Amino acid sequence: MGERIRASFLSVGFVGIMSTLYLGLMWAPSVAIDAFESPAAQRIFYWHVPSAWAAFIAFAILFIGSALWFFKRSPTGWRLHVAGAEAGLATGLMTVWSGTIWGSAEWGTPWDWTDVRLNTFGLLTLLALFLVLGRRSQPDGIETRDVFSAFGLFGFALVPFTYIATRFWVIRHPGPVVATGSDGSLQSDMALVLFIGAISFTIFIIGHILTSMHITKLEQRVEMLQSEIDKGG
Amino acid sequence: MEGMSYLTVGYLGMILGIAIWTWTVFARSKNLELRIDAIETSMGKEDIEADSIALQSTISEEN
Repeated sequence: MGERIRASFLSVGFVGIMSTLYLGLMWAPSVAIDAFESPAAQRIFYWHVPSAWAAFIAFAILFIGSALWFFKRSPTGWRLHVAGAEAGLATGLMTVWSGTIWGSAEWGTPWDWTDVRLNTFGLLTLLALFLVLGRRSQPDGIETRDVFSAFGLFGFALVPFTYIATRFWVIRHPGPVVATGSDGSLQSDMALVLFIGAISFTIFIIGHILTSMHITKLEQRVEMLQSEIDKGG
Repeated sequence: MEGMSYLTVGYLGMILGIAIWTWTVFARSKNLELRIDAIETSMGKEDIEADSIALQSTISEEN
């Protein structure tokens, strides 16, 4: 895919993300003062939820890529695996970071070890960290790719578990605000900003995944050329 | 800390995260393109697109 298309996704996504920030701070209505300990900090929600959404997309890409490599030996599958792991790590860290900051303001503690959603999402982010660091520290090979793909496949089981966690075990983390099956608790203006954020983060992460796949392709070309040099050209 | 301070720290951290992530990706891409150009020029080669590990895997499964 062309450089211009990748850059367009990244630029449009970035502009959308910044617009979400502006709308979230300046336009979206405030929450009721008695509903939250820290009503001002609640506005982190306009990036926290979309980044978590983007992380789930990244983990889905990681799963698809892992399956394509593991079962079909697809080079594109491996590139998807690498891109999904990198994007999952970046968006996962953003989600954890914004969540811990909000937790500090609202709950008085950044993390609750008894909360199922926090812990399963934390594990997903650690899985992405393991895949990214592991790939960089190991020589590329069939066995290495098989091991990392197996982790990508089994790790995905945490995604639906994380998604439903607050429906069954509401401990600290608030329940879902979208796709709840009811009218939801969000005001329409808040929902609009959240929707713009989700779309923007989705476009941005697509740009990153395409760029990351391009980089993996370049790395493979370097290895190919290197092996030709080693063979004596 | 006040709520607005938490909000500022939260958003600044995420902006920094997005900036580092994007910068790293572009820097890696640029670096690799320069390396490939230099190697290909020195070898007098055209572009090579294949993934050697995937090729190796296909060959070993066929045998």
